[in-house]
Amino acid sequence: MRIPRPKILSLPFLDDIEEKGVVRASTDLADDVVTRVTSGLNITDIRGVLRGDPAVRPNPRLTPHAEGFWLHMKPTYYNNLMDGLYPTFRLGWLATFFFAWEIVTGIFLMVFYTPSPLVAYENMLNILSNVPFGRWMRDTHKLGGELMVLLVVFHMYRTYITGSYKRPRQFTWATGALLLTFTLVVSFFGYLLPWDQLSLWAVTIGASTAGAIPIVGTEADLLVRGGLEFGANGLLRAYLIHVILLPIIMIILLGVHYYKVVIHGHSLPPEAEEPSVDTARKVPMNVRTYFMPKILTRELVYVAGLTLILLAASAFAFGYHAPLEPHADNLVTPLHTTAPWYFLWIQGLMKLGDNFIFGVVLPGAILTGIILAWPYVEVGRNRRYGKRRIGLSIAASTIIGAAILTYMGTPWFGVETSPDQEAIAILLPQTSPGPLRLSDWDDIPYGTYLASEWESAPTRTTSKLLKTFDQELEHASDNPLYGDVEGFMVVEDWQTDLKKITVRIVWVDPETGAPAEFSEIFFFHRNSDYGQGE
Amino acid sequence: MTDAEGQPPEEGQAGALENLGVATPELTRREFLYYLWASSMAVFLAGVGGVTIWFALPRFREGEFGGIFVLPIEDIPAPDSDPMEFAEGRFWLVNIGNEILNDPRQPDEYKVNPGIRTLYKVCPHLGCLYKWVPSNDRFECPCHGSKYLKSDARIGGPARRNLDQFFTEVLDASGSVLVQSEPTWPGDRESTAVPIPPGAVALRIDTGRRLDGAPNVKPGGGL
Repeated sequence: MRIPRPKILSLPFLDDIEEKGVVRASTDLADDVVTRVTSGLNITDIRGVLRGDPAVRPNPRLTPHAEGFWLHMKPTYYNNLMDGLYPTFRLGWLATFFFAWEIVTGIFLMVFYTPSPLVAYENMLNILSNVPFGRWMRDTHKLGGELMVLLVVFHMYRTYITGSYKRPRQFTWATGALLLTFTLVVSFFGYLLPWDQLSLWAVTIGASTAGAIPIVGTEADLLVRGGLEFGANGLLRAYLIHVILLPIIMIILLGVHYYKVVIHGHSLPPEAEEPSVDTARKVPMNVRTYFMPKILTRELVYVAGLTLILLAASAFAFGYHAPLEPHADNLVTPLHTTAPWYFLWIQGLMKLGDNFIFGVVLPGAILTGIILAWPYVEVGRNRRYGKRRIGLSIAASTIIGAAILTYMGTPWFGVETSPDQEAIAILLPQTSPGPLRLSDWDDIPYGTYLASEWESAPTRTTSKLLKTFDQELEHASDNPLYGDVEGFMVVEDWQTDLKKITVRIVWVDPETGAPAEFSEIFFFHRNSDYGQGE
Repeated sequence: MTDAEGQPPEEGQAGALENLGVATPELTRREFLYYLWASSMAVFLAGVGGVTIWFALPRFREGEFGGIFVLPIEDIPAPDSDPMEFAEGRFWLVNIGNEILNDPRQPDEYKVNPGIRTLYKVCPHLGCLYKWVPSNDRFECPCHGSKYLKSDARIGGPARRNLDQFFTEVLDASGSVLVQSEPTWPGDRESTAVPIPPGAVALRIDTGRRLDGAPNVKPGGGL
């Protein structure tokens, strides 16, 4: 029975209902919407992808690559040889995933963060203790950033080792070198935002490095610092650079980088093609693996696995937790202050001499000069491992060099202070909570304890602390300037639920016989929470 | 655009290149105007870049950093005693006596005279705050391990100069200046210590006037 309808509005859907009935018209409409959203795949096509059916001809799974935005950045098909782990290890894809991860978790953190020295640290405490999943967001943002640095570096080494940077992919490599630099720089500026001692002094060192550039150095330093020392201006600048400026630049660079990969095709394993010939662009029909469904599934599995690892790594008490030191203080530099681990190599360089040469010229030349320009300088076409002995040896020696420089960047190289201060820093370090602050409040009973008599201490905790102290005191005893070294720990009842713990070293000057002492006092509250809840 | 067409190629390079089979079309008015426009845009953008940096440079109010500190003479440390810290002024006060003058670790290149020296608290290497370590009898930087004597002389570590100093004056009861620190190194660097003459009542330290330490680059200190 047809109901006559006045033709005032032209609504094809209503016509469809008249023609096919409600159910058929609705499923057709759904199909149409899905095809539009996926740029070319209807529901049947998607089910075909999910079921792993062979593609029909003409293959509708190619259309999203040609017509859609997202997949135009992905090759339509890969060579079969590029399907497994080797040779890419999917490191580039994983680095991209972490970039997205950082943006998402970063936006969550921004909701609870104000870039002002007055409240930034308080915001951190709020995120850690009050915001649901706040601490986890912060942990994974920090961990994700560090893993991203690692993945980008591994990706670079992989590209170098398989010779994939060679012609015609020099430009892809160059954009990758810039992305590496920006990954490091964006992490560096993010470092300041918690506004704790760790961040303030690490970033102060970085900004002072910029100050070492001749002529423009002072201005460069002022531009970053926003004043003579880091304060409200500097924090705001670091924040804006971290959340707006560098991410925009990186998104653009990432687009260029991806486009070049699509244009040139993934470079095949070096042993798979004739030496000096690039055959990646033309993939014969019989060795093609189409992006959909196989590669897509693999990429999603990798990402899901990594998310699981990331989640597990910081979700549990024993997992990774981003450190938070005491509030930033422009008047005190903690002993053993260091840069983040991925900048230790620069710190190691800077212990060698002139700031400009070792802190600016060399790292700058390595990052943007040598790495970026490498494929335009080293133009040998042969990608076979056996024919690149010098090139591969250089890569191996850079890893060794980076390891040595990183060691040199740590406090163990060239930064020892006097043995008495070092011994106390073993129990009460200034850049991390350390064993004493992390001890159980109840396990440290009142009393005076000699470090050398650690075996007779009343509790296991106290005994362990004293033993650590005693071992470190041996360095003082070995020092000819220290005679009769003795270490004490005095635990007093100071207030309700508050212990005053004095860690003291006494010694005599072997020449004059004059007594000397050094001590540090730590007030330990029953509810002190240096371990952030553990 | 069509003006140039049909005209014989000019003598010189263009003609020579054409002989080699390389076509070099002549500069048309339209192309020339494009270049002119592009270069004016380049100049404009360079100007915008300069203005952007100017815009982003921090602005200081007068006295925002640095200031005049007046300390009564009774408050200054005794000769050769441990340095005294003034956190709010970002400086250490050192009273140089015989012990410091005869310190064998002191590099010979730098003259030291008895009196008061005001040392800027910030390490000239990379901006950390160095601290006094009494048992080693020297200043040590906790970041990269630069070491300095009380006199200001660097004796180790990666810093490339001695500690920076602030301009210091000694005042008498009427407020007139008895002695003031003077640079001893070319380029207004490395100030003298100010001796305390009889009749001195106060020390005036201007942390707005900083004198860089003298260059000091050798591994154990010295030039």
